[in-house]
Amino acid sequence: MKTSRNIYWLWGLSSVLFLASLLMVFIFVPTEATMGVVQRIFYFHVPLAWVSFLAFFIVFIFSIFYLWKREEKWDIIASSSAEVGTVFTTLFLISGSIWAKPIWNTWWTWDPRLTAALVLWLIYVAYLLVRSYTAEKERGARFAAVVGIVGFVDVPIVALAITLWRTQHPSPVIFSGGLAPAMLFTLLVCLSAFSALYALLLWLKIAMKRSESDIETIKEAIDRGN
Amino acid sequence: MENAGYLFAAFGIIWAAIFIYILVLWKRQRSMQTDIALLKETLRRKKLE
Amino acid sequence: MIFWRKVLAVTWKDVLSEMRTKEIVFSVLVFAMLVILIFKLAFSISQDMLLLVAPGILWVTFTFAGILSLNRSFVSEKEEGCMEGLMACPVSREAIYVGKMLGVLLFMLIIEAIALLAFAVFFNLSVFSPALILVTILATIGFASVGTLFSALAINTKARDLILPILFLPIVVPVIIGAVRASGLALNGAGWSEASSSLRIIAAFDVIFLVVSFLIFTYVIEE
Repeated sequence: MKTSRNIYWLWGLSSVLFLASLLMVFIFVPTEATMGVVQRIFYFHVPLAWVSFLAFFIVFIFSIFYLWKREEKWDIIASSSAEVGTVFTTLFLISGSIWAKPIWNTWWTWDPRLTAALVLWLIYVAYLLVRSYTAEKERGARFAAVVGIVGFVDVPIVALAITLWRTQHPSPVIFSGGLAPAMLFTLLVCLSAFSALYALLLWLKIAMKRSESDIETIKEAIDRGN
Repeated sequence: MENAGYLFAAFGIIWAAIFIYILVLWKRQRSMQTDIALLKETLRRKKLE
Repeated sequence: MIFWRKVLAVTWKDVLSEMRTKEIVFSVLVFAMLVILIFKLAFSISQDMLLLVAPGILWVTFTFAGILSLNRSFVSEKEEGCMEGLMACPVSREAIYVGKMLGVLLFMLIIEAIALLAFAVFFNLSVFSPALILVTILATIGFASVGTLFSALAINTKARDLILPILFLPIVVPVIIGAVRASGLALNGAGWSEASSSLRIIAAFDVIFLVVSFLIFTYVIEE
C-alpha cells in the first residue's frame, strides 16, 4: 500500500499553518494589557478546545453510523477521532493549567471551561477504557459506540450545569472579554493550524487501524491455509 | 517579559506532544506496512504449495 | 398496555428476588450509615457549618450507594444466565430496559428514604420537606436511567465493578450539581423559585437520558 498523495499534502499544509501561527503568536500579535506575555497561550489553548469538540462530534456521528450499519470502517473513524480528541483535550487542560499558574498562582482553577473539559476528558477516557476492557473486538466497538453517543449528548447538559454551579461559586475565569482584530486574526490562523493537525493525526490513526485490521485478516488467511 | 518561562513551557509541551505523537504514529504505520508485505509474501507462498 | 404488563413483569421479578434474599437493601443501608459516620468523623463540623456541607454529604452517600446497587442489578442476569432466558421470551428489549430501570429506581428510592432517616437522626436536620423529596426523586430517576444502561454494559466487560463508576460518574455530573444545589436550598427552607434552575437541569437530564437509554439499550444486550 503506497502512501497516498493526500497525506503529503496534509503534512505540507499543517507545517505551513504551524509556522504561520508561530509567527503570528510570537511576533505579529500585540501583547495583551492585563495578563502580559503569558496571555499568548490563549491562541493555542482555545483552538485546542474547539478541535477537541469537533473530534468528539465526529465520534458521535460515526458511532451512530457504526451502530446502524455495523461496518468496521465507521468504528475505525470513531475510535481514531476519540483518541486524537483525548490527546487534544489533555493538551487543553495542561495549557490551561500552565496559564493559570503565573496569573492566579494556582495550578488549577475551577473555571467553567476547564471544569467542563475535565468532565469531557473523563468521559472519553471511559470510551477508550471500555474498548480495551471488553474481551471481544466487536462487542468493544459496540459498547464504545454507545458511550460515544451518550457522552456527546451529555456535553451540553454538563456545560449548562457547570455554568450554573460556577455562577454560585465564582472563581478565576481563564478568558473573557472581546478581541481586537489582530488577535482575532491570529486566533483564526491558529484554529486552522490545529484543524489541519487534527485531520493529519486522524488520517494517520485511521491508516494505522486499517493496517492492523489487514494484518489480522491476512494472519487468519494464513492460519486457515495451514 | 515576566512569566515568559511559562509561555514557552506551554508551547513547548503542546508542540512536543503533537510532534512525538505524529512521529510514533508514522513509525508504527511504516513497520506495519513492512509486516503486511511480509505476511502477503508468506500467504502467496503458501498458496503456491 | 401489553408493553407495560411485560415491563412490570420484569420489575416484579427483580423485586421478588430481592425480597427473598434482602441482599441489596440491607447491605446498602449499613453502607449508608457507615458513610455518614465516616464523614462525621473525618470533618469535625460545627452545627452551623453542617447546613453547608450536608447536601454534599447526602449526595455523596446517595451516589456511592447508587453505584453499589447498580453494580448488583445485572449480576444475576449474567451469572445465572437469565439474560438469555429473558431475551428468549417475547419481551422486547425496550421492555427489559424499562422493567430493569424501574426496579433499580425502586431500590434506590427505598435506600435513599432510609438514608434520609439516618441523616435526620444523626445530623438533626429536618429532611422530609417536599422540595427535598422532589429533588431526590428527580435525581434518582436520572441515576437509574443512565445507570441501568451502563450497568448492562459494564457487566459484559472484564473489570465490571470498576468500569461502571468510571462510565457513570462523569455522565451524571449535571444531576449531582443540580441535586446538591437544590438540596442545599431545600434544607435551608428556600422556596421553589430559587431551586427551579437546578430542578430544570435535572428534569431535562431525566427526559433526555430516559429517551436515549431507552433507544440504545438494545445495542448493549444484543448477542
